Amino acid sequence: MLAIPSSIIRNMIAHARELAPHECCGILSGTASAITGYYRITNILAELSEQELSRFDGAKLSDLHRLSPEERADIAFQMDAREMAMAQRDIRSKSLDLLGFYHSHTFSPARPSQTDITIAMEFESYRAKLNFPEPFHLIISLEHIEQPVVRAYRIQESKATEIPIQTMP
Amino acid sequence: MIKVRIPTPLRPMTGGKSEVEIAGNTVSEIIDNLNSAHPGIKERVYDEQGEVRRFINIYVNEEDIRFLTGKDTPLKDGDEVSIIPAIAGGA
Ligand SMILES: [Zn+2]
Repeated sequence: MLAIPSSIIRNMIAHARELAPHECCGILSGTASAITGYYRITNILAELSEQELSRFDGAKLSDLHRLSPEERADIAFQMDAREMAMAQRDIRSKSLDLLGFYHSHTFSPARPSQTDITIAMEFESYRAKLNFPEPFHLIISLEHIEQPVVRAYRIQESKATEIPIQTMP
Repeated sequence: MIKVRIPTPLRPMTGGKSEVEIAGNTVSEIIDNLNSAHPGIKERVYDEQGEVRRFINIYVNEEDIRFLTGKDTPLKDGDEVSIIPAIAGGA
């Protein structure tokens, strides 16, 4: 069970709607299994050139390379590294933990894609060395625009397991 | 020597190794020396202006170098440098 204040759920949905059709992304803070804060992080994918993306990681582009940067941001996200580091710093200064990551799926259901799982496993490979606790992965689906769906997952051994969300007043 | 953690996309350049030991007194020297040993790494980590790419975090131990002194951040024996892409995903 993951406890999340209803205000944060509303804010994540608002963030997803503001950026649609681009995916939004962000970081969640808290303690144990209760979320208490959130940070909107810029999805920089729409601003990155193909050259810039492929120079670092050719494989990443395999399913994105025929698209424009704007189109890529509709089906994927890349967090701004500086903003992510600033959020981590703020979380640490409040003696909280980085508890999770959220992003939106503007056209698909609220479950992790194969890419989401691959990248989560990559994060998992160095997480402990940087002293991050195991994160929850939250997805906001706008597939049915009037009925956004928010779901939380743990991703372990390349498998996503849904964790029920308990909405707090 | 400094232990450097290499992210998956850069491992083809280090012969598949996820950690390498490199000498250097600053982060900048580490990246230069890493590039001498494993050519191609520097242009992947830095952008055209020579700054760390917008989707990469470099940590010294547990602190991002953007909050230390950037690429000039001094290193001492036993420090660990981690090159880590910021979280991403696909629908
Ligand atoms: Zn996704």
